Amino acid sequence: MAATMVSSAGGLLAMLNETHPLLKLHALSNLNSCVDQFWPEISTSVPIIESLYEDEEFDQHQRQLAALLVSKVFYYLGELNDSLSYALGASSLFDVSEDSDYVHTLLAKAIDEYASIKSKAAESNNEAANVDPRLEAIVERMLDKCIMDGKYQQAMGIAIECRRLDKLEEAITRSDNIQGTLSYCINVSHSFVNRREYRSEVLRLLVKVYQKLPSPDYLSICQCLMFLDEPEGVVSILEKLLRSENKDDALLAFQVAFDLVENEHQAFLLNVRDHLPVPKSQPSEAVQPVSSDPASAQNESSTAAEDVQMADGTSASVTTVPEADPSEVMYAERLTKIRGILSGETSIQLTLQFLYSHNKSDLLILKTIKQSVEMRNSVCHSATIYSNAIMHAGTTVDTFLRENLDWLSRATNWAKFSATAGLGVIHRGHLQQGRSLMAPYLPQGGAGGGGSPYSEGGALYALGLIHANHGEGIKQFLRDSLRSTNVEVIQHGACLGLGLAALGTADEDIYDDIKNVLYTDSAVAGEAAGISMGLLMVGTASEKASEMLTYAHETQHEKIIRGLALGIALTVYGREEEADTLIEQMTRDQDPILRYGGMYALALAYSGTANNKAIRQLLHFAVSDVSDDVRRTAVLALGFVLYSEPEQTPRIVSLLSESYNPHVRYGAALAVGISCAGTGLSEAISLLEPLTSDVVDFVRQGALIAMAMVMVQINEANDSRVGTFRRQLEKIILDKHEDTMSKMGAILASGILDAGGRNVTIKLLSKTKHDKITAVVGLAVFSQFWYWYPLIYFISLAFSPTALIGLNYDLKVPRFEFLSHAKPSLFEYPKPTTVPTATSAVKLPTAVLSTSAKAKARANKKEADQKEKAIAEKTETSTAGKGKSSSEKDGDSMQVDTPQEKKAEPEPSFEILINPARVVPAQEKFIKILEDSRYVPVKSAPSGFVLLRDLRPTEPEVLSLTDAPSSTQSPASGTTTGQQGSASAMAVDEEPQPPAPFEYST
Amino acid sequence: MDPKLTEVSQLFERFKAAITRKDYDTCTQQLSQLKVMLTGFRSLPPLFEETPNSVHELTLARDIFEHAVLLSVKIEDQDAFERDFFQLKPYYTDARNRLPESPNEYMILGLNLLRLLVQNRIAEFHTELELLTSTALENPCIKHAVELEQSFMEGAYNRVLSAKQNVPNETYGYFMDLLAKTVRDEIAGCSEKAYDYLSINDARQMLLFTSDQELLEYSKEEHPEWEVKDGSVFFQKAKDSAPCKEIPSLQLINQTLSYARELERIV
Repeated sequence: MAATMVSSAGGLLAMLNETHPLLKLHALSNLNSCVDQFWPEISTSVPIIESLYEDEEFDQHQRQLAALLVSKVFYYLGELNDSLSYALGASSLFDVSEDSDYVHTLLAKAIDEYASIKSKAAESNNEAANVDPRLEAIVERMLDKCIMDGKYQQAMGIAIECRRLDKLEEAITRSDNIQGTLSYCINVSHSFVNRREYRSEVLRLLVKVYQKLPSPDYLSICQCLMFLDEPEGVVSILEKLLRSENKDDALLAFQVAFDLVENEHQAFLLNVRDHLPVPKSQPSEAVQPVSSDPASAQNESSTAAEDVQMADGTSASVTTVPEADPSEVMYAERLTKIRGILSGETSIQLTLQFLYSHNKSDLLILKTIKQSVEMRNSVCHSATIYSNAIMHAGTTVDTFLRENLDWLSRATNWAKFSATAGLGVIHRGHLQQGRSLMAPYLPQGGAGGGGSPYSEGGALYALGLIHANHGEGIKQFLRDSLRSTNVEVIQHGACLGLGLAALGTADEDIYDDIKNVLYTDSAVAGEAAGISMGLLMVGTASEKASEMLTYAHETQHEKIIRGLALGIALTVYGREEEADTLIEQMTRDQDPILRYGGMYALALAYSGTANNKAIRQLLHFAVSDVSDDVRRTAVLALGFVLYSEPEQTPRIVSLLSESYNPHVRYGAALAVGISCAGTGLSEAISLLEPLTSDVVDFVRQGALIAMAMVMVQINEANDSRVGTFRRQLEKIILDKHEDTMSKMGAILASGILDAGGRNVTIKLLSKTKHDKITAVVGLAVFSQFWYWYPLIYFISLAFSPTALIGLNYDLKVPRFEFLSHAKPSLFEYPKPTTVPTATSAVKLPTAVLSTSAKAKARANKKEADQKEKAIAEKTETSTAGKGKSSSEKDGDSMQVDTPQEKKAEPEPSFEILINPARVVPAQEKFIKILEDSRYVPVKSAPSGFVLLRDLRPTEPEVLSLTDAPSSTQSPASGTTTGQQGSASAMAVDEEPQPPAPFEYST
Repeated sequence: MDPKLTEVSQLFERFKAAITRKDYDTCTQQLSQLKVMLTGFRSLPPLFEETPNSVHELTLARDIFEHAVLLSVKIEDQDAFERDFFQLKPYYTDARNRLPESPNEYMILGLNLLRLLVQNRIAEFHTELELLTSTALENPCIKHAVELEQSFMEGAYNRVLSAKQNVPNETYGYFMDLLAKTVRDEIAGCSEKAYDYLSINDARQMLLFTSDQELLEYSKEEHPEWEVKDGSVFFQKAKDSAPCKEIPSLQLINQTLSYARELERIV
């Protein structure tokens, strides 16, 4: 007999109307089991069931059953809100662990609801949030279940979303892999927690949990502490590590310091350094006090003949200390080192050495530009100078300028200013000799007759650029220069320089000095003063902003208003909601320039947060404001808000990039350029490509610059469009009929494309996903070049070297090899251009190159073979553990392949790099440390500064980066090939080509 | 035999006795008890579990509900009728192939159709009709109901009223009485629409009343809006013919303006 099925719920529904309660209960429970099938029928009787639920006479169970039934029917009807409220009524009958669509959907709904109630309560600061206890119970049940089932990530996600820090802690502490969950949690809190205060709370909790661990992960703790702005915590950790007998702990401390430095939070770093005890043996004047103690300031300025530097000076003095307690001596020595790192000097110095030794900039490009640009066209002339500066940023190579002094001298007035300032970009980070380098151009105290004010102002600006964000040693000098002049141009340069050097320090005295300049109400100086104040107060959200706003309303000069508007925007950097009042005030202003500042304020306050509210606001202004400037800036600002999610930007601005309004198109181009900088993102390139041939000249300019920013360090092997773009740039530069604007864009673009000797990229996020404040500020001010070309140099602040630099205990760079498990051609430097214009000659130099490479390869063959063998052995030993036969086969195939190598020379699938090496961002995932290497990194990081643990400390070390670049380099040694000093003899592209395809398995 | 089953059948016997005694209070009480006891059987709908006694239990349950339906007619309780009928229905539809046919099935189905007709639930009437087999439609009980419906729809009200004389079963009497009232309501509804007023004489004839007195009572109870004066019945027509709709000019203007503004802003 076939099983009989009910065909209708009518009978059961009829039973609900019976008078006897037992019948009703029977009907309810049966309906509940067949609701999935008969909900359409039941839905007509929902009112009856509801009345059962509300009937006080029934016992609890029956009412809950009725509620559950109603909830299910509502779920099927798509009325989730009603469904949820009845499910809450069902309390314990609603089974969280049931595996059905109904339960899943409602749980999600419940959690959403709970989270939104909680966050709303938190936003309105309403402590006594009246959350339905039943709702809370459901969410808690869910959380407990997740934790029980080992789904910690889910539990953490829910807990964070619902602001249940207690549950979050529980989830973390009970998870089986606490380190993993913690780092996951940090990631989550950065990418998904939008409100700043709440994020701080989460991080504080994480720090607490971290510290309870038996082996805390100091690197992560310190990152958290930095975000929380708690230098004391960092200091105590560092001190503990430094005091330790173990050398590894000291290495770890150094690594912590390097990681902190990478985030470029100058004020915080200074705080940490001040809290560290001063090593006993250290001479007191070597330490720069941050507070502006007048006495020491005087002292400084008098002895300021040589730039004050602590790292070098003290390391020498430590040795002279009379023998004390050896552990104390060691501690003092370590302290000195760490202070050096924290001051940023160590990393700047190493970066400088790296950029210098690996410089690959192509002078031919510049030469082509120089020849094709018309002499009288000053815009293109100075664009070429800018381009040169950017191309050699931080490399200290000023050959091009030295070779073309005549040509250079055509720069007059402001062009002279920027030409001089360009030296600052080239020598960026040359802290020790910055002053002496710029000496010929600096204002000669009192005499005044010396150089032109333009070059003097430019020199001051250059000093600022050299010392950007590390201006301890130069601040005083810049202040004095500012005070002792009343020439507008010099004031302009001094203000910018001072702002850069004292970036984010909120130094009151400097602020007052600059304010005095502002109050002279001179347009040129005032503009710089406005920006400078902003730089000084970056991210402090101080009340100074309202003072600046008042003055912006008072003054008549547009330039000053613009400078102040940007300055005000800078003060609220990264403050998110805190800045809302100010933003509101600015965006509602009558004056379009202040609204324009408001856009920047939005951009900077919410930079990198991808905050939906900010994006909505910006999009609104982008389409509704009456002023083109404001609309342009609003679109541009999107780039800042979205840089943490570069994939989003092209999608969001794609419509705007097709706007009829050229200003909006320009903004869209730069927005993509800013947020996708250095990513080489395919969508970004596709969006920019049509814009590079726009009908309006300034749109072309913006698109070319943006494209260069996106393509920094991407070579043709990665994306063929890079090559097309390079050729397009060349064409534009050579074309006589091209507009000046786009020509200038093309010249700048070629500079940015090969920035920093092809060894830097534009990065707005550090490796730990923190914003790099200097970089963001740099780009924000850079985008002002629309109004004021000298601000182009601010882009150099956003450059960060793409290098892996391994350091030993002495903070020296030992010789150390590691592996890049990818085809070398994918990431190699672009080929140097050949003699331009003469098209026939194109083939010739390449031929020379390849033969020479072959010759060299032959010469180095022995070495290469040895290396090959070494690696082969390595693989053998590594695979030996698994199975001998396979390793032997490996070896055999190697042997077989070797004779054939001569023929094809296929490209190897890996490459050995030597510390320090250029590792472009896309390459990072292929970096591996060789297994039996002498050094082991303290933390596994594919780029940046990595401290290495020496496994064989007794053997002598070979250092690979030793000599600092000399500032007074003779022009003779300045040719492209000559620059590769002995240090870079092992430069990557000269590596002999390994013979056979070879799979290196680790 | 299962003691529970015995208990139920004993109670059922007493229940039947009470019906014949026309002791309806005891009946309803016992019926309620019976129903509760029935919930204990797992072989009944909606579970339909196979148990050794399932056929026996199903038959018994069906008998009980059939009696319950008939009882509800006797005590003239339409709600109870509907309730019991719906509970009975699965035994006819879903358990059809497991039970011998019940002699009362078509009679009860016909009753239900009649009830729907009485309550003027024509849509449901036809739904029920569609579920019946062609053989069932031949059954006199069903046929009776179908014919009534046809007459009713045609407006052949006299045929409806005369059908009272040849009912297939005496239980139908109750519903036939009610049907007369339904017919009258229909006529009253139509007259309202058709006439502004009617003389009392005409109205009495139209509404099938035998005396003016009945007409007056009817109008007072069912249609208080009717007015009886000057020997005529005035039907108060619903005078609230909706005033012609105003053009929302202001709203339209605003909309157009905002479109214009948005167009300006198009990027």
